[in-house]
Order: sequence, then C-alpha cells, then structure tokens
Amino acid sequence: MSTAQQRALRSLNLVIAIICAVSALAPLYWAAVGGFRHESDIFRYMDPPSWRTFVPSPATLDNLAILREAGFFDNLVHSMIVTVLSVGLGLVVSVPAAFALAVLRFRGRNFWFVLIVFTFLVPFDSIAIPLASMFRTLNLQDSYTGLVLPGLANGLVVFQLRQFFQGIPTELIEAARLDGLGWWGVLGRIFIPLSKPALVSAGMLLFVFSWQSYLWPLLIAPSPEYTLAPIAIAQFNGDHTVAYGAIFLAATITAMIPLVPMLAAQRFFTTSLATSGIK
Amino acid sequence: MKLREARNGIYRSQATAAATMLLPMLALLVLLRLLPLANAMWSSLRDPRLGATGYVGIDNYLRVLSDPVFLKTLNVTAMFTAIINPLQIGLALALAVLLSQRIPAVGLWRTLVFLPAVVPQAVSAIIWGIALRSDGIFNALLHQAGFSKQGFLTSPTQALWCIILILTWIGVGYWMVILIAGINDIPPELNEAAKVDGAGALRRFWHITLPQLRRPLLFVLVADTVANFLIFAPVQILTKGGPAHSSSIIMFDIFERSYITGDVPGASAATVLLVALVLSVVAIQFRLLPGGDD
Repeated sequence: MSTAQQRALRSLNLVIAIICAVSALAPLYWAAVGGFRHESDIFRYMDPPSWRTFVPSPATLDNLAILREAGFFDNLVHSMIVTVLSVGLGLVVSVPAAFALAVLRFRGRNFWFVLIVFTFLVPFDSIAIPLASMFRTLNLQDSYTGLVLPGLANGLVVFQLRQFFQGIPTELIEAARLDGLGWWGVLGRIFIPLSKPALVSAGMLLFVFSWQSYLWPLLIAPSPEYTLAPIAIAQFNGDHTVAYGAIFLAATITAMIPLVPMLAAQRFFTTSLATSGIK
Repeated sequence: MKLREARNGIYRSQATAAATMLLPMLALLVLLRLLPLANAMWSSLRDPRLGATGYVGIDNYLRVLSDPVFLKTLNVTAMFTAIINPLQIGLALALAVLLSQRIPAVGLWRTLVFLPAVVPQAVSAIIWGIALRSDGIFNALLHQAGFSKQGFLTSPTQALWCIILILTWIGVGYWMVILIAGINDIPPELNEAAKVDGAGALRRFWHITLPQLRRPLLFVLVADTVANFLIFAPVQILTKGGPAHSSSIIMFDIFERSYITGDVPGASAATVLLVALVLSVVAIQFRLLPGGDD
C-alpha cells in the first residue's frame, strides 16, 4: 500500500470514528440541551431545524430549581451511596474468591467454580421478585443493606477476575511462598498490584450494575428516603409531576456522573489488560 | 515421610485459605441467587389457594404454556434475541477493530462510544422515549427529509425495533471495550509477521484477530445473550409490552404476572422457564466454541 493510500485510509477511519462517536453522543447532547430550555421551547426549533436546535437559546436554569424542589438531589446522593458501597464491598468479597479459584488447590474447586458460573447465568432480575419477598420478611426493605446486598453477589465479576488471575505465572507464586508469604500475602502483595487493569474493569462492572439497577430498587426501596435517581426520573416521567426540561436535566446529571470514574480509569483501557509486567 | 507431611501441610493451608476466601462470596451467592431460585421453583409447583402445600405438579407450567399472551411473549423474545445479539456483537467487533487503529484522539472516540453504556437504561429509555414521540426530533427529521410521521413506539410493527435500536445504542460500547482489551492482548509480532508476508488487512483480521479474540468473543457472546434476556426497564417505561404485546419481552411478562395480574405461581413457572432457556442457550454457545471454557 502506498503512503498516499495509507493516509487516505487513516482519514477514512477517523471520519467513521467521529461519526460513531457523534451518534453515541447525540441523544445525550439533545437531552442536555433540553435541560437548559424553557418548557415551552422543548419541542420547538426542531421542524425546521435551525441553530436553536443545537443550542439552548434562550437558556434557563429554572429546571435546576424544579429538581431541587422535587428532591432529586437527595435521590442522587442515595444512588452514589449505593454505588460506592457496591463497588467497594463487591471487590472485597470477589477478589479473594477469584484468587482461591484461580490459584489454590483444594477439594471441590471445580464444583464451586461451576456453581459460580451457574449463578451468573441465572438472571438476577428474574429472581428479584422472589428475593424481594424474602427481603421483606427479613425487614430489609427501605434500607441500604437491602439495596446493596444483592449487587455484591456478582458471579460475573468473580469469573472475570479468575480468568485474569490464571494468567499470572505460577513461578511468581512459588517464589513468594518460598519467601514465606501466606496466601493472603500472595494475594495482597503479588496479585493485586499486578491486576490493576482487571480490578478496574471488575470495579466498572460493579459500578455499571449498581448505577444501572432499576427493577431491584423499584421493588425493595419504595420509600422516598431511599429512592434512587433512575427511579425518581422514571417517576417524574410517568406521573407528569415534573416538566420535560427538568427530566432532561436530571437525566443529563445522572448520565454525567459515571464520567468521573470512567475518565479516571480510561488509561487502564488504553493499555492492554495483560501487559502489566507479567508477560 | 517428612516430605509427605510437609506437602500435606501445604495442602491443608491451601484448603483453609480457600475456605476463608471463598466463603463470603459463596454464602452471598447461595442466599441471594440460589435460594430465591429454589423459592421460584417451589412456588411454580404450587397453588397457594389450595392451602399450605397445595402441590399441583406441572399445572402452572401447562397453564402458562397454553396462554396465548405468554406464547406471544416467547415469540417476541425469540425474535428480539435473534436480532439484537448478532447486531450488537457485530457492531461491537467492528467498532473495536476500528477504534484500536492508530487514529488521532482515539481515546476520546472510544470514551464517547462507551458513554451510553454507563447511563442507566431507565434514563436512556426516557430520553429516547421523548425523542421518538410523535412531536419528537425523529419525526421532525423525517418530516424535513420528506417522509411521513411514524408511530415508532406506538406502532405494533415498529415498537420492538425501536427497543432494539435503543438497546444497541446503549450496549455496543460496553462490549466494544472488552473486545478492544482483547485486541490489545494480541502479540504485535503476529500482525507484523503477517504484514511482512504480504497479508492484507482483511486476511489479517480473518486469520489473526478473529482466532486470537476467541476468548473475549466467547465471553461477550455469553454475557450479551444473558443481558438481553433480562431486558426490562425500556419495555416497562416505554411500551409496557405493547402495542398488542408486540414488544412484550419475557422479563416484562414475568413482572406483569407477579405484580399486575397477581399470578405468582404463573410468574414463578415463567421464571424457571426463562432460567432454563438462558442456561441452554449458554450451553450451546460453549459447545460451539470449544476451548474457551477451561
């Protein structure tokens, strides 16, 4: 291929990449712009499109006040508490389990592994309804325990971490054992430092699961004291209690928050999952 | 003798460590996943109106499976699954290949394509629902392009396609990121050697990228299929399974049975059928792609 052809191909790739990125962003951008419009302007300026289709003009911050009044910022705080607890505690229980399954030799190892795979193949939402009635018998409704607990039992996270841990050479483990490290020491001093990308991706899985959850909080936390942001937005939309502009603003805020950990984690995605000094 | 004792000692310490490391997760999985599943199985075999045990065998299954609404749901779910899984995985693979090339600001494009995956489905559903209204932006664009207004979510022939479109927009970036990680794991020597041998981009994709991606692809295939069997929020928020049950994907049917119709045994039977369906699809996929499940 000549350099000219290569350059043309590269520009074509760039153009396609931009088109894909713009299509991914467009609905969110449209909602974000709507969040700063007056209610009467939400469906204006679309047909025919003008520069006002893309820019909120005249812009307003009224929707912020509407959301504050509707208690949406409390809902956001509830969501954040649930997500932080889910990611933190989820890793605390998943990492040792994955390590045991990947490294340790003990009776019944394959059985427990198959059991874990089986549990992540059982759709959580499908057992959410019987689980919710179990939780109500235990009086766990309308509590952070009730909201967080089911998200911790994520077999998929264990599966993913185990796959990664299996790639760490046994020589490292043997050397560490000869140096007198216990198994928790091997996990803490060797595996965790070598597994940052895998841990980030496992944390992301727990994050997405928690930030996305809809059916479970709908079933288990009906009280406004524990209503999470996505449920609150769906309620605004369903009851017509809050105007479209405010819904758009709430949707935009809820969509933007995951950007913070995502951008922080982005460098782990650009480097390979396996080139962290273990090859 | 001493060596044997020492070895036994190592094994014993492994067993103790394994127990303490595994126990919390296993306890959670048993209590929060298996117990409710057992609960659903048990409740699917009972009729609570017949007293404490009220065992009725497979009556609930026969009733659900002869219910035209449930048969319609199965039909819709089958069509939905057959379309959305190849669509999402194909697009995710194409995007992963594209966005693992050397392109200016590639990290930015990747992040933007991934962005919809972290937006809660319920939130995306609401945004798309407003965009697809009769006075929404899509109809405005169609009108500008000279087409007539479409029903979208209110049309029995379009509602399911709209949900597929929304979910594809949501999901593709997530699977793409996993596949990009897989592509980055491919030893660069392989591609360089193939280039030296004069292999074009297409042949390198077919003979190097695709075989090397087998493991992450298998993971994406299984996880995406399972995820798509669970779709609930967009259906509940946007169409309530309608119009005329045309977008009634199985999870919504189960929810409706237990919370709206109040048919808990029927919902439990449907739950058990769904779990069996998911497990058999996954088993078939593992069979089709040998070597990925060690």
